[in-house]
Amino acid sequence: METLFVALALILAGGIAGLCLARQFTFMKLVTIATTSVGCGIGLVFTLPRLLSGVAVPAVSYRWLHIFTLSFRVDSISLFFLLPIFLISPLALLYSFHYLGNREKKIRAGANYFFFAVLVAAMALVVMAADMITFLLAWEIMSLSSFFLVIYDYQKKATRQAGYLYFIFAQGGALFLFAACALIYSYSASFTFTGFVAIPDLVKLSAFLLVLCGCGSKAGVLPLHIWLPYAHPAAPSHVSAVMSGVMIKMGIYGIVRFYLALAPTSAVFGQITIVLGALSGILGVVYALGQHDIKRLLAYHSVENIGIILLGLGVGMLGVATGNKTMAAFGFAGGLLHVFNHSLFKSLLFMGAGALIQQTGTAMIDRLGGLLKKMPLTGSCFLVGSISISGMPPFNGFISEFLIYYGAFYGLSLPGISFIFSALVIISLAIIGGLAAACFSKVMGIVFLGEPRDASLSAASEAGGSMILTQFVLAGACLIIGVWPDYLVRAAFQASRAIPLIAEFEVAQFMPLMVNISRTAALFLFLLIMVTGFRKLLYAGKDCPQTGTWGCGFTQPTVRMQYTGTSYADSILDFFQPFVWIRKKYAGIGKIFPGSISYDTHAEDVFANGLSLIACSITSLLGRLHWIQHGNIQLYIAYIVMTIIVLLAFF
Amino acid sequence: MEAILSFCFAVLLAPLFPVVIQKVKAGIAGKQGPPWLINYYTVVKLLRKGSVYSTSTSFVFKLGPVVSLAASFLLLLFFPWAGRAPLCSFHGDVIMLFYIMGLGRFFTILAALDTASPFEGMGAAREAFFSVLAEATIFCILILFFRLTGSLSFAEFFVDTHFLNLMDTHGALLLLAVVGLYIVMLTENSRVPVDDPATHLELTMIHEVMILDHSGPDLALIEIGAWFKLLFYAAFLSCIVNPFQVDNIFLNGFLFYVVVVFVYITIGVVESCMARYKLEVVPKFILKASILVLFGIILTIGGL
Repeated sequence: METLFVALALILAGGIAGLCLARQFTFMKLVTIATTSVGCGIGLVFTLPRLLSGVAVPAVSYRWLHIFTLSFRVDSISLFFLLPIFLISPLALLYSFHYLGNREKKIRAGANYFFFAVLVAAMALVVMAADMITFLLAWEIMSLSSFFLVIYDYQKKATRQAGYLYFIFAQGGALFLFAACALIYSYSASFTFTGFVAIPDLVKLSAFLLVLCGCGSKAGVLPLHIWLPYAHPAAPSHVSAVMSGVMIKMGIYGIVRFYLALAPTSAVFGQITIVLGALSGILGVVYALGQHDIKRLLAYHSVENIGIILLGLGVGMLGVATGNKTMAAFGFAGGLLHVFNHSLFKSLLFMGAGALIQQTGTAMIDRLGGLLKKMPLTGSCFLVGSISISGMPPFNGFISEFLIYYGAFYGLSLPGISFIFSALVIISLAIIGGLAAACFSKVMGIVFLGEPRDASLSAASEAGGSMILTQFVLAGACLIIGVWPDYLVRAAFQASRAIPLIAEFEVAQFMPLMVNISRTAALFLFLLIMVTGFRKLLYAGKDCPQTGTWGCGFTQPTVRMQYTGTSYADSILDFFQPFVWIRKKYAGIGKIFPGSISYDTHAEDVFANGLSLIACSITSLLGRLHWIQHGNIQLYIAYIVMTIIVLLAFF
Repeated sequence: MEAILSFCFAVLLAPLFPVVIQKVKAGIAGKQGPPWLINYYTVVKLLRKGSVYSTSTSFVFKLGPVVSLAASFLLLLFFPWAGRAPLCSFHGDVIMLFYIMGLGRFFTILAALDTASPFEGMGAAREAFFSVLAEATIFCILILFFRLTGSLSFAEFFVDTHFLNLMDTHGALLLLAVVGLYIVMLTENSRVPVDDPATHLELTMIHEVMILDHSGPDLALIEIGAWFKLLFYAAFLSCIVNPFQVDNIFLNGFLFYVVVVFVYITIGVVESCMARYKLEVVPKFILKASILVLFGIILTIGGL
């Protein structure tokens, strides 16, 4: 355990060095990145062997402020969540070496590194916490440090608004968590994450619902996802990568941790989680399809992937409730593995988006095009990320989705109507997979393929070395896990052994399944190479002239005729009409010789609109009470005196 | 050995069967139709040629045909031809195979978008949309099959068992799956009434327009991949509807392919009697399939 604290101290030291050395820009970046990476490396070296071997780590506790005890404990679930923290954070920092290249903002970059280190340490503390006080303390530090990371470009109004929205959601979510902890404490009289067993079932359920609201607003579960599409485009890309890849998973960790502590027996917990997961998954990807800004699109994909994770956890919970071991083990392992996989490919995609925004100066999908020729390395890595996030073999996204499918299929044999929930999981996963493929073929096809839609794009070139390197590492990891999933699947199963029912589950009997998947993936790659070789042979010695694309006889093609992302997604969005509000501004062509016409369309999130409607009506209602706030200090003192008198009279 | 032989047989015959459709269509129209070996001639002709590439394209364009062919080839390796054990199989392979098919489609779509042509973009968008619905239907069918048999691989579905057969106890339920699967087959293989494989240069089509810029050997790879895919779906259907169960291996294989040809004939008949649907109607048509299968799943609630 001390090793972990040393790692965290090194990470923090790196952050403080960033703050102190900010005047020597390059030196500061080198020192910070090196120190923090060493810290994360130590953390990884500590975590990985213990996770695979299942060795228990002794718990420690410290007194704090003479009243509270801060206690730390690392079980298999915590170890599993520590992996992405210690793996993605140093990569994101390395990426920032070339990404934060502006010397004029060196003080700000220093502050950014400081808060980044604080965020990493706080996330590690969240998963290490053994009691609710420590958990909430670390949770708040995590929320605050990430808030400062989001408002990096604080001069822009949009960034400040996004930061404010994130702040509200983070703190509002924390309130729900406080409420949940208070509710649990009032029954169990203990702050530690054990001994919740004696709590009545109904209280367990309400505590779980509060946790779902609290952690869900951090994770981006559907009605509470609204901050994500604002905060991610506003934040610098290496921050988005860590926030989307790692930080929002802390919400998932919270849900798993409280679920473990509550140890419920009812099937309702799993059913609620499945319904929320299906909702987030499907609508998240539908909203993603309607976005014009690439980082907003990726933010909505985080909502989708959180949905997939919840589907997995829901299958696991349903399995635990019904005593179906296969379902429980595969559901939890799939959900947890997707946490890790998503951290890999989502940070990869955010880094790719950051590189192309840095090079082109725009994030609008419909203004880009043909970037694969200008940025071949970034483009290829983005292609790998796109396939992985669409859950297709032979990349890592498929492995976790496969585990969830497998668990859900085994849930189909449940008696009565509980199997309907399993069927819901399978059908949702299939729809999510298809829509994600549609969405990423849109991004890849419109942004990287075809012809540039804007003349300014000709200046774009490949991004800086450290940015390319990190993307390659992540893309390589996606492929390696996709073809050799053994170790990670074992780790995910090992992690889910924290659940009593799964602890008795024999994992070894399902490992041949992983071998088969890995063989099939290898077979597919082999076939791919064979067909490529065959194709090379067919083209040997033939000359292949190049010419323009066949325009079906049209002789005046322009790049503006290309299909846009908006038109690509139009028919799918139309299909999901009641859940997406499509706002179109188009006057139509009136005259025989039409003048300039404009066409403007936005796909709007029903939930964001609904919530803002509720918020507006509440503020206007409260605005009626504005006369209480008159600015007259004597009257304020009178309020205080009156309150005291009333309180004294009643208590 | 037997598995290898039956696999090779399927691969070699795959280009022959689509001619059945053309012959049926020609017959109904009172024409003679192309020669039986037309597809083999086409492949040889295309393989001899070179290609013309668009200046807009990148390496992804060349990857498209390769990935889609490799995906459909892999699918054939896992399929139990005429109820004989396939070359490869494992519990859960159906999930992986349909996802690999998705990868093939993903690259076909990317290759289409790579040409910067508005027509191909249009086709790509439609393909992406309709395949979402088709994939959901396929997984509904897999749910129904799992409820009936507890199996998750083609081998478990069909090798040495006739449980998933119209003639068996759950034939009535399977009828719903057959209709659903038939609609998926028409969708995934871009046949009438979802798509029209006969028109090359109209805005009404999906798959044909996506491969407009491919030529020479690249086009041949795409065509071969498409024949494999169609053969897979036809064989999948045949396994369910096949009424003949004989002990003799050769006779059994022969009767299996007779049923496969029958499926191709029905496609030809469908194409001769109806036009393709308007594009707004197509999603409803595919949804009909998933609703039917979902109904089948609901019918299993009462116990089997």
